[in-house]
Amino acid sequence: MKYHLVILGCQMNYADAERVQSIMAKMGYEWTDVEEEANVIGIIACSVRQKAIDKVYYQISKWNKWKNKKNLITFASGCILPQDRERFLKLFDIIFDMKELAMFPAMLSQYGVTTPVSNSPIIYDEEILKRAQPATPAEKLGFTGNSQISMVKAAPQAWEVEPLYNSSFEAFIPIQNGCNKFCTFCAVPYTRGREVSRPSVDIIDEVEKLIAHDYKSITLLGQNVNSYGLDKKGEELSFAQLLEKIGEIADNSGKEVWIYFTSPHPRDMTRDVIETIAKYRSLAKQIHLPVQSGDDKVLIKMNRKHSMERYDEVVGWVRELLPTATLFTDIIVGFTGETDEQFENTRATVRKYRYNMAYVAMYSPRPGAASYAWEEDIDHEIKKERHAILTEDLNEVAAELTKDLVGETMRLLVRGKDRKEGYLSGHTEGRLVGRFASDDESLIGTFVDVKVTSVRPFSMEGELVKEVVS
Amino acid sequence: MQKFNLHKILEKRMLTDSAFILRFERNGMEFEPGQHIQVGPPNGINVREYSIYNSPDEDYIEILVKEVKDGLVTPALKKMDVGDSVIINDAVGFFSLKKEDIDNKKFLFVSSGTGISPFHCFVKSYPNLDYTLLHGVRTAEEQYEREKYEKGKYISCVSREDGGDFKGRVTEWLEKNPVNSDTLCYLCGNCDMIYDVYDILEKQGVKSSQIFTEVYF
Repeated sequence: MKYHLVILGCQMNYADAERVQSIMAKMGYEWTDVEEEANVIGIIACSVRQKAIDKVYYQISKWNKWKNKKNLITFASGCILPQDRERFLKLFDIIFDMKELAMFPAMLSQYGVTTPVSNSPIIYDEEILKRAQPATPAEKLGFTGNSQISMVKAAPQAWEVEPLYNSSFEAFIPIQNGCNKFCTFCAVPYTRGREVSRPSVDIIDEVEKLIAHDYKSITLLGQNVNSYGLDKKGEELSFAQLLEKIGEIADNSGKEVWIYFTSPHPRDMTRDVIETIAKYRSLAKQIHLPVQSGDDKVLIKMNRKHSMERYDEVVGWVRELLPTATLFTDIIVGFTGETDEQFENTRATVRKYRYNMAYVAMYSPRPGAASYAWEEDIDHEIKKERHAILTEDLNEVAAELTKDLVGETMRLLVRGKDRKEGYLSGHTEGRLVGRFASDDESLIGTFVDVKVTSVRPFSMEGELVKEVVS
Repeated sequence: MQKFNLHKILEKRMLTDSAFILRFERNGMEFEPGQHIQVGPPNGINVREYSIYNSPDEDYIEILVKEVKDGLVTPALKKMDVGDSVIINDAVGFFSLKKEDIDNKKFLFVSSGTGISPFHCFVKSYPNLDYTLLHGVRTAEEQYEREKYEKGKYISCVSREDGGDFKGRVTEWLEKNPVNSDTLCYLCGNCDMIYDVYDILEKQGVKSSQIFTEVYF
């Protein structure tokens, strides 16, 4: 039996997908890249913009046509708004929240698909080996007076399911889920629920294992990653304390590893987080700090809970304590009511903070988010124009930064073959993209030193200087 | 973890034809003054955010609701009665007073419509608070429970008719009654009001670090 999974959206969805893949593998399914070959197709949905959720409707429409000719089971999970979920119930065979992931085998077995796991009440590895035979109806119904009817252990969060890492050298570890901020443009509080922090012992355990297995890049994930611990009200490590522990473990391992985190909220960023990053070599000098807008009034309307003064303070810490760090951000253009003057303030912000990269999006009203009720008064053409202008500004700023790199030797983590034939590519510690001429695929997943010979605003090209043994 | 709990309605107070207060079982829910909850009918598909109206010292939760015609949640809430249950999740939010300011500072609370909710909560939570509460409404009947505020501290600005303390908008009142520049200003309600008041306060010398906002739908 084969399965295919379409993953949309952010790295958190990719991390969740690894857990879905783990479950599918344990159920005995084989992955296929070819959708048409699959017996089960799933989609990990994204609701951050309408375009993202439109992709789901497009896919399921196509798959439901295939059902006329073949047996196919479809499922959807990930970030789904309530209104879309209602519609998906009519379109997909199975919809589940990531919190219900452990029950997915049982859901699938209702379609008459039995696997070693769907017949087993518990899905953890050791138990599967012991419980290969199906439970009797009596056991399932609890008539024997033994344990409860369903022993399927519902994990409160998907992170309790061990993932099937798709890469042997880079991993994404969810440490926090949900959002309490209720930014007026955003669907995430309605798709991911309230902020919940994963137990630090589990995070540290996973990081230790990854480092022991020579992983080179580890990214800690959360919708508000730096709110980590706040929901536990003092009974868990703070984000800075968690980074301290991870930094110490990584540095003491003697191995080269880059530890990142995304996505933080400026409101919850504290100076001790930046100080901790400065203290440990392994904590990567790359900060992603979403600004969304450079105008205080727009930030108020977005309900971002911080002013530009606060944002300036945080960037000040970064520049002071991490002078070599790259700075990335997210920006929305064309938010409802955004005036020309307010847009100019955002342009000024890009020039002031000299971002190495910004993910610029055109505002997309999300059902359920507060701004959905407001008139969308910025014409699509104006949004496109602002997007183009800001992208050009970013190109200019980034180009000024990368031009200084010519002649420098940069360490790259090689991630794969480049689109340019005969080249490999990867990124620096600061997540700047780089490529170099080489056919040696054994370098993928290793660190190399590259002397930069030419640059573009967001990437560089160079000559291999040294293969780093690590 | 996000918890959607069922809470029984204990009381329903109609303030106008469309505005009402619902009081629910607290069921141990903890909250800080100024925080909000998501509330919805028990089918659980649609919920809306509401600032908590009452003080954490009380053994219940109250919200102030204004029915939105053809809305997905408020008409359903309006139909509900004592004994019915609603879904409520954990209280969250950052629109709160700093502890070190409560006994030492002067506060200006500016609200429009149901945006008065968190300020009612502040006033009930901190009895010695030195505050002025401006409430911008369209009609005199929207002066929600004004008798609950200390005399002279609640000032209604009624834009469309007489019957309030001031005929006109909160912005006009503020222009006529400039604020001391060291006042801490909290604004809650519709965004246009917040924008306009923000500009006025800045012109009057109030720093942006002293202005706190909570935008409503």
